[in-house]
Amino acid sequence: MTITWEQILAFLCEDQSMAVTSLLFIAFFAAVALVHYALPRVLRPYFLLAASYGFFCYDPVNRPLVGVLLGATLVSWLCGLVIGKVRAKPVRVLALLVSVLGGVGILIYYKYWNMLADSLGSVMSHRDNLLAPLGLSYFTFAAMSYTIDVYKRRCKVETNPLHYALFVSFFPTLITGPIERYPQMRPQIKKSRRFSYNRCAGGAFRMLWGYTKKMVIADNLSQYVSFVYGNMSEMSGPNLAAATVLFAVQLYMDFSGCCDIVLGAARILGYDLIENFDSPFEARSFNDFWRRWHISMTGWFRDYVYFSLGGSRCAPWRHYLNIVVVFLCSGLWHGADWRYLAWGLACGILAAFGAMTAKARKRMEKFNPLYQQAWLKTICQVTITNLLFCFTLVFFAAALYNADPFAIYGAMLQGWNGLAGSWHQVQQLLLDSGIDGRLPVVLLFGTFVVFAVEHDGRSVARWIREQVWPLRWTLYYAAAAAILFFAAFGQSAFIYQQY
Amino acid sequence: MAKSPTPIPAPPVKIQRGAQSAAPATKPKKATNKKRRKRRRNPLVWFLRGLARRIYFGVKTASRVVLLVPILVFMVAFSYNVDRSGLFQGALAPRRIVDLMLQGYDVTNFEQMDERQVVQLFAQDVERAPEAIGIGSSRVLQFNRENTGVDTFFNMGVTGADVRDNMTSYYKMVSYGKTPKVLLWSIDPWVFYGSEAAFDARADADLYNEFLTKVLNVPTDYEEPDKVELWKALADPAYFQGNVDYYIKNRGQATVTDDEGNTIEFNPVQGDPYDQTTTIKRSDGSVLYDVAFRTQTADQIRTLAAEACMSFNSVHMEGFDAMSDTQIQAFTAFMNYAKDQGTTVILVLSPWHPYLYGYLLTEPELHKGFFEVENWLRQYCAQNNVPLYGSYDPACIEGLEETDFFDGLHCAGTGIARFFPGVPQALQQLETGTLPHPLAVHPRTSLESADPNVVETPDGETAETAQEG
Repeated sequence: MTITWEQILAFLCEDQSMAVTSLLFIAFFAAVALVHYALPRVLRPYFLLAASYGFFCYDPVNRPLVGVLLGATLVSWLCGLVIGKVRAKPVRVLALLVSVLGGVGILIYYKYWNMLADSLGSVMSHRDNLLAPLGLSYFTFAAMSYTIDVYKRRCKVETNPLHYALFVSFFPTLITGPIERYPQMRPQIKKSRRFSYNRCAGGAFRMLWGYTKKMVIADNLSQYVSFVYGNMSEMSGPNLAAATVLFAVQLYMDFSGCCDIVLGAARILGYDLIENFDSPFEARSFNDFWRRWHISMTGWFRDYVYFSLGGSRCAPWRHYLNIVVVFLCSGLWHGADWRYLAWGLACGILAAFGAMTAKARKRMEKFNPLYQQAWLKTICQVTITNLLFCFTLVFFAAALYNADPFAIYGAMLQGWNGLAGSWHQVQQLLLDSGIDGRLPVVLLFGTFVVFAVEHDGRSVARWIREQVWPLRWTLYYAAAAAILFFAAFGQSAFIYQQY
Repeated sequence: MAKSPTPIPAPPVKIQRGAQSAAPATKPKKATNKKRRKRRRNPLVWFLRGLARRIYFGVKTASRVVLLVPILVFMVAFSYNVDRSGLFQGALAPRRIVDLMLQGYDVTNFEQMDERQVVQLFAQDVERAPEAIGIGSSRVLQFNRENTGVDTFFNMGVTGADVRDNMTSYYKMVSYGKTPKVLLWSIDPWVFYGSEAAFDARADADLYNEFLTKVLNVPTDYEEPDKVELWKALADPAYFQGNVDYYIKNRGQATVTDDEGNTIEFNPVQGDPYDQTTTIKRSDGSVLYDVAFRTQTADQIRTLAAEACMSFNSVHMEGFDAMSDTQIQAFTAFMNYAKDQGTTVILVLSPWHPYLYGYLLTEPELHKGFFEVENWLRQYCAQNNVPLYGSYDPACIEGLEETDFFDGLHCAGTGIARFFPGVPQALQQLETGTLPHPLAVHPRTSLESADPNVVETPDGETAETAQEG
């Protein structure tokens, strides 16, 4: 049986879209990396730009929308140029407004049009075939951050439109971010890094690590979570509670797994991107949690919304209101759904409450017997923080699975049958949802290993290169074998890909 | 703050527009400037250095990537060997049958077997080419290692075989590089019938078309099958996982299950194979009917033969009033092909029950095609020196009795022994030129041409027929 290149290509290109977990993406990325390093360094950014547009246009759905990416890039670059080169303030302000309103306008049109149309009725009409371009929320935010940074003089104006276009459309970040900032990317684009075997090996392992987190842990957990949330009305309290906790783990493994793939890929290509996670489940307060979760987004809102509103340097009530506003924006960013908005509001209220009571809680710590031992204090704080996060996450999960969050909260209180009885209910449903055989052990052990390796924000890419080669190769094989034996194939989409 | 490989963007630094860069604290010395002056690069050296650097790192990276290849090799090899959906090794049930047969076991539950799959898998899995194989319909299935006299004989006959089954069975062996030295072909009359009625729906039409197109150069609508689907399964981790589950589930189990969890009921025959209550497939491919069927009285056999009279034409011969030129060409081409492969073809005409044949003689107009076949074949064999044994006409076989049959169509081993001397003797006769002359036998084609001896009529009575001329 002879296999031709045409057949291999046809096999790889079978799917219309280039999912990150597909063989096509891996083949595409390998080819891009190969050509990238074969080229002289000065040409590499231009090749990456071409590859990024190729990646964007691969999906036929995105092809007609390439103009949006191109337009957002061109408008923000021109506005940046005007802001950077013109001294007259009104002109600079006008250019900034054009850029920001342009970005926000695109977002509103593609993400919120239908929600607004449904709310406003006759003023706007509902559009059934309105599809958002790939990575819309990420590249518009990146573009807006550039013009704001140039306006605030935090960043030099970029005169090379192609370099800037690469920053906006850099293909690894088009999937689920992170939302990049130009001061971070600029030197890396200007002077492409030489090939470094260590960097590439670390990046490759990080990609493998990400695939393991996503395909082995997140996708298998999603079987149970989607089963519970999909049949919410038939579920008992213990199962809803377990599904909510497991959803938190799933979301982390899914999103951080994708970020690992993205950051690993960028690392191989010689780029360091913003870390999106910093061991969030080790956070000891709710506010601390949000400094460690989706850092590029929370950082963006902090720098461009929270600080603009006055941050904490204002009256206390304004400070708390600013926190709530930032979280509301964050909720809105996730999608045109009232449940995301409610999730943002819940997080905002908790964060504001946290900030409001921070000093008082600090003072009361010495009276709390549980806080006398440092380790016990840490456990208590971490547990409470994570429970609060899980509590708010019900809104998020409800939006994702189209359920009624308040009904979930209500149902969560029912059907408890003692510890043993409740555990039996959960265990039974876990098995029914397909998490059977050796899978529960693999998931438990895998989650433990992930948290242990990523403890204290440790970089996986660097950590692996510090190990002796037998351990290193054992881990390579273990990760590959975990994917091969336990990954749930056919569930390629990342949760954050839709935002 | 946690350690992070990629620093979170540093706090924004305000850049003063139009500000002059700070002047150096001291004026650099001229000598230092001289030392630091860039030398002009030789473009060729620069290019070669870049090339060498790329090759070095390319080889280094590739060598590491190669170390991960065993994982892929393992995945592919495991999927190929376990193959729960039977994409490469064939369906699970036939695979189990062939495995047992190759281990020398007779296998139970013949009626439920997909015989064509068994033949296909035998051709694929048998290690060495058998010295002789038998092809044909169920009428060949009583040829075995004992009555052929060949220790490695394998009977590739299948129930209801049409010309496509016959030819492709042999073609499979050739295409797997296991060409037998001798091909024992029990030719059924419908091999020369070109109508759709002569074809069996279970036959592999695609393989036959492939055979015609690629081997005999007969144009058909054959298209090279798309094998991409097959190797896609090999590269599919989900298929690998399914195979792992299947392997773990069935490892060390007495009974094997199929892809959907159903038990595969094909097991080695326990006890004396001649004392079974169900029909079994022997390890040499022949079939051993159950005791009750094998030990019927002459009357019972005749009853079955009488029943077969009414349905005779329906067995691939509905409307068979003339031999097809196309089928004759295909037959001739196949014989030449086998000869080219170095295979000696021995043709066998398995007799029909005397009662049934007698019935056919009463209505020769309805079986014109059938009666043409034997004479044509005898002519062909005489012209081409092809060994031919047996006759459709039971009267032409000396000593053949009604109890040498199981029913109207199937001649038992005792009947075979009356006209077939075995493969070694046939080869010897061929070599020494002592083959029985094909034209020395004159099968009856109508009552007029019948032997003057007593011929049994379909109504069960005996009548004397005068031979004319």
